[in-house]
Amino acid sequence: MAGSGPFTVIGVDISPELGHGGESIIPVQVDLTTDDGVRQVASAVEAAKAPLVGLVNNAGITRDSRLVNMSDEDFGSVLEVNLGAAFRLSTAMADLMSDGGAIVNISSRSYLGNFGQFNYSMSKGALVGLTRAMAVSLAPHIRVNAVAPGLIDTEMTHQIPDEVLERAISNIPMARMGTPDEIANVVWFLLTPLSSYITGHVLVVGGGRSLS
Amino acid sequence: MNIHRASPVGDDWGEVRAELTRGFEMARAAALAEQSFVFVVHHDDLLGKRGAGNAMVATGLLSAARTAALEGVRKGWAANVLAYDDESDPKIVTEWAERLAVDSLGVTGEIIRTGSSHLGKALP
Repeated sequence: MAGSGPFTVIGVDISPELGHGGESIIPVQVDLTTDDGVRQVASAVEAAKAPLVGLVNNAGITRDSRLVNMSDEDFGSVLEVNLGAAFRLSTAMADLMSDGGAIVNISSRSYLGNFGQFNYSMSKGALVGLTRAMAVSLAPHIRVNAVAPGLIDTEMTHQIPDEVLERAISNIPMARMGTPDEIANVVWFLLTPLSSYITGHVLVVGGGRSLS
Repeated sequence: MNIHRASPVGDDWGEVRAELTRGFEMARAAALAEQSFVFVVHHDDLLGKRGAGNAMVATGLLSAARTAALEGVRKGWAANVLAYDDESDPKIVTEWAERLAVDSLGVTGEIIRTGSSHLGKALP
């Protein structure tokens, strides 16, 4: 994204150490599962005094277990963070967004089904529904799309035992995990006029895993 | 029979969460009993045509059913979704739901769509 022109990024609930290239990052640490948290983000947007042109809903947690063992708490917490937060934030930010703006929801390849992730699959699938509904209601002024990453090299996947990870990678035609930059590139594409005629779409970025 | 028909909701997070929770509770109970289950949704909601709340419920249930289907394979129970539209005959919807809930004839993790409004549209 560096070199694409100066813009301000409001980073919500992320490390305040980010910031490179031509962009500035305003960190806002809030609880997105509360209305107050969303209000704080809206305040930060208004305080930035710049047009809001993009929103990326990236907050997500996992609490995996087989359906028969899944607790009410594990079910509810995943839904709140992965879906409730995105719904609240998107609804609030859509009112502040400039004409021509774009929203990108980070879903997951798990929305196609993934063993032991009933709650996670449901939340990421519901995010696809949110994407479509908002794409319909906000068109033609604001575009809304989703990215569904597969196995990506992140802190979350570093928790997976080696033998499990190796087995997972063996099912990926590209024979490796994806990188955060590879997801960011697709998000960037969907945020910018490069994708000006795309809305309501889900781009699966999983190295071909969905085919194998 | 384990059939959960999604109730209409507004664009209200509390209503959405409650409806998805009802689906989860039914599915978990069915899985514990090693019985098949079916979610019934409106096809317009899979495409986001009747509001964000209904869309989140419909697509959330669909993805959850796909995951449950994977978990039911070894135990011999199935999880499917039945989608209907405004033109669908309610008797046929009921017949399909009961068929899928009792004996899906090997169909699992699938979405069966009655009516014709889904033709030529994005795949859910």
